[in-house]
Amino acid sequence: MSYGAQQSDLATTWAQLEAGIDPIMNKLSDGLSYKSWMDLYTTIYNYCTSSRMCNHNDEPINGSSSNRGANLMGADLYSNLKTYLKEHLDALKVKADQQMDEDLLTFYTREWKRYTTGTTYVHHIFAYLNRHWVKREIDEGHKTIYDVYTLTLVTWRDHFFGGGLGTIQPKVMDAVLKLIEKQRNGETIDSSIVNSIVDSFVSLGLDENDSTKPTLDVYKQFFETPFIAKTEEYYKMESERFISENSIIDYMKKAESRLAEEDNRVQMYLHSSSQKPLILCCENVLIRNHTGPIQEEFQNLLDQDKLDDLSRMYGLLSRVPESLEKLRLTFEVHVRKQGLSAIEKVAESAQAAPEGEEDEEDEPKGKLAASAAPKKAGDVDSKTYVDALLAVHQKYSSLVETAFRGETGFGASLDRACREFVNRNIVCEKSSSKSPELLAKHCDSLLKKGSKITDEHEVEEVLNSVMTLFKYVEDKDVFQKFYQKQLARRLVNQLSANGDTEESMINKLKDACGFEFTSKLQRMFQDVALSKDLNDQFKEQTARSAEKSDLPDFQILVGGTGQWPLNATTTKFNIPDDLLKTYEKFQSFYQHKFSGRKLNWLFHLGRAEIRANFVKQNGKIPYTFLTSTFQMGVLLQFNAAPSYTFAELQTNTSLDPATLKSALFGLIKSKALIVSNEKTSDPETRYEINKAFKNKKTRVKVDIPMRAEQKAESDETHKGIEDDRSMVIQAAIVRIMKTRKVMQNQLLVTETIDQLKARFRPTVPAIKKCIDMLLEKEYIERMEEQRDMFQYIA
Amino acid sequence: MPVILQASDGQQFPIEKNVAERSMLLKNMLEDVGDAGDPIPLPNVSGSILKNVIEYCEHHKDDPHFAAEEDKEVFESSRKKPDDIDEWDANFMKAGKGNEELFEIILAANYLDIKPLLDLGCKTVANMIKGKTPEQIREMFNIENDFTPEEEDQIRRENEWAADA
Repeated sequence: MSYGAQQSDLATTWAQLEAGIDPIMNKLSDGLSYKSWMDLYTTIYNYCTSSRMCNHNDEPINGSSSNRGANLMGADLYSNLKTYLKEHLDALKVKADQQMDEDLLTFYTREWKRYTTGTTYVHHIFAYLNRHWVKREIDEGHKTIYDVYTLTLVTWRDHFFGGGLGTIQPKVMDAVLKLIEKQRNGETIDSSIVNSIVDSFVSLGLDENDSTKPTLDVYKQFFETPFIAKTEEYYKMESERFISENSIIDYMKKAESRLAEEDNRVQMYLHSSSQKPLILCCENVLIRNHTGPIQEEFQNLLDQDKLDDLSRMYGLLSRVPESLEKLRLTFEVHVRKQGLSAIEKVAESAQAAPEGEEDEEDEPKGKLAASAAPKKAGDVDSKTYVDALLAVHQKYSSLVETAFRGETGFGASLDRACREFVNRNIVCEKSSSKSPELLAKHCDSLLKKGSKITDEHEVEEVLNSVMTLFKYVEDKDVFQKFYQKQLARRLVNQLSANGDTEESMINKLKDACGFEFTSKLQRMFQDVALSKDLNDQFKEQTARSAEKSDLPDFQILVGGTGQWPLNATTTKFNIPDDLLKTYEKFQSFYQHKFSGRKLNWLFHLGRAEIRANFVKQNGKIPYTFLTSTFQMGVLLQFNAAPSYTFAELQTNTSLDPATLKSALFGLIKSKALIVSNEKTSDPETRYEINKAFKNKKTRVKVDIPMRAEQKAESDETHKGIEDDRSMVIQAAIVRIMKTRKVMQNQLLVTETIDQLKARFRPTVPAIKKCIDMLLEKEYIERMEEQRDMFQYIA
Repeated sequence: MPVILQASDGQQFPIEKNVAERSMLLKNMLEDVGDAGDPIPLPNVSGSILKNVIEYCEHHKDDPHFAAEEDKEVFESSRKKPDDIDEWDANFMKAGKGNEELFEIILAANYLDIKPLLDLGCKTVANMIKGKTPEQIREMFNIENDFTPEEEDQIRRENEWAADA
């Protein structure tokens, strides 16, 4: 071992080291041998391990005199190295001062690379110093002593890069900014230069307290701050110029590509921490400063359905979230207008259609139109109407999904707009309940036999879209009423196309509105099932009594009055003799089974099939007439005589003239009966059975309703809804008063609206009326002292 | 690619690179200079000692490097227990080595920056000292007593509190 053997004199040692380090710092490309490297290391090792006690130069640099266990050599080497680095960089600075712009950048990055590579070697070569002397100094808390590599960076930072006068950092930064501007102007630059400058700035961020922890201070202060300022200036100018010379659409494209470009710039050569401030700055200058004109363009884009541009606009403005509110409002208004105009078109074409003969330009507005004359706007086809609503909804809901990325604010605007145009459009002008009525009608046409859509899944889909609209309907009770009515008709007339679909639709409604909403509908289905059993039992019984042969086939549907929205008819009816027996038998069968119940026969809903033996198709197959019960009553008369007058028929059947007239209408229309003159309901008009009856089909439907009947039915339903509502409102008021005991008028009205809005939107006058009714019925009373306070009477 | 180590007496030892890299010194140097092919001179280590060091490095060539900061704790705690020495390591230090050789190995480990070996050496020496009187220690390491009787007396008094175990 050679420790101590070699006298480690500082001057000699340093001379050896400097001679070795200098080539490493300046001409490393010439290569370095193992031997020279090892020699340098060994020299330092030997110097540091020499046992010589040289107290005068082994003092720590800052003059600490703490008691140490052993003297460590190294302070001299450290300070010599420091001086060497300073001088090395001073020389470099002289060269750097002669460079400008890109040349300077090339110079800087080249020298930076050279320096850091060289100092990495030096750091390793000085490993022994780092391991012992430097470690000891740092452990003892000497802040200005760094490991060798850090020392080289600190020296670069303080003596070359910046910090004092004549440093080159401002010039470098100036050149970098110029270079980036060039790139922004579309020129190609060597971005690796910027990249290594950034790396250098980042590397120079050293925590003074802990050199192992890098900070971004230098980068932030000397690079990012001026860079962001420059960026702002650049884009401020560019955007203002561009927007004044180009369309907003083009500007948005520009801004979008600029933003992408800057984002890319961060990836390419900036420190990732700059992403946020840079993009924020660009958003400010490129978007926030121009929000107004961009927002103004929104309407145009909507008008022209420019999806891409809308999507782009959303993309841009969503970066400035507060700017979206205006778009949402515009969007809402637009969708509402679109919905309204779509319905206007539907109404117009309905008017143009043959049915709309009546000319009534100025229908009196408002109130309920239950008693109004037939109206053009109300006569729209339910499918066309629903489809038109759906088309608008679907168009804009897909716009929200795609262009506006399903943003909830726009979703809410869409909902608000749809609610408006679904409930308040021209068709609903006279009656807000027109929408639910048409919607229910549409359901009926889908669920009825003979619907154009037969595929179960397809029907399911259409029903789902109906539910979408249903969600927007305010008067859900109206829908319920109509739906119930039509369901009743489907069940009574066995017109329902598919039981599963019916059930699925009811489940959908249940999901949307709760159990109560559909309970009646469900009970109707139960009644149908029960009736089936009833029929079977009845059949069995009659079979046993062996009188079957002379009785016609008979089927009955018995439904509870509560759930079936069916009205008894006012007309009398003589049950034809052929049926009387069956009628009586069933009556007694039923009374026997359920003694407490009363059967109301709704003959007007009944149907019959009558085989005509007097005339045969092609002389072979007898025709079968599909009739209403009343028509059967009429037709069976002709078994006794070939012709009757209107008056005779009326006497025989006991039907009132209107009912008889409508029964005859179908019989005449199908030519089963021949009428003697145009005045079909004149008592003297004669009806004769058509012996020469001919039809392509063997089963002939003669039960054709008159147009006016349908109309009347719809009006009647509306009327019924008004009455129901009055009850529902009263019930709600009583409920509220029962819990609150005392309540102020205005609050009561608000609370009532609140409670009922899920079913329908009661008007204030309607509520006032109900309050009056309740006052009259003495459920509530006004308080003595305060007239606008109500009190519940228990 | 093997590297050749050359001891101060000119002896050459071709060894695998990962064996050489047990020495942080060699690791850093190889990183800096690259594969030059020529022998690496180690002017501070003799052939016989280098042979021992290489033997140690060969055995430990697959040990994890305790370089990373997070391993430091584990590393520090394990090397502070002097009686916790791996069997192979204990045998390696005993096997016919005199005190002189032991110290040379410690110095070489310090020079070559092989921390585990340096620790092993120091632990071994610590175990040798444990439980011995100053006289025995002086004898063992051939140290001359350069204290005057007065000095010795004073030191004894200062450390009285610790003497009675």
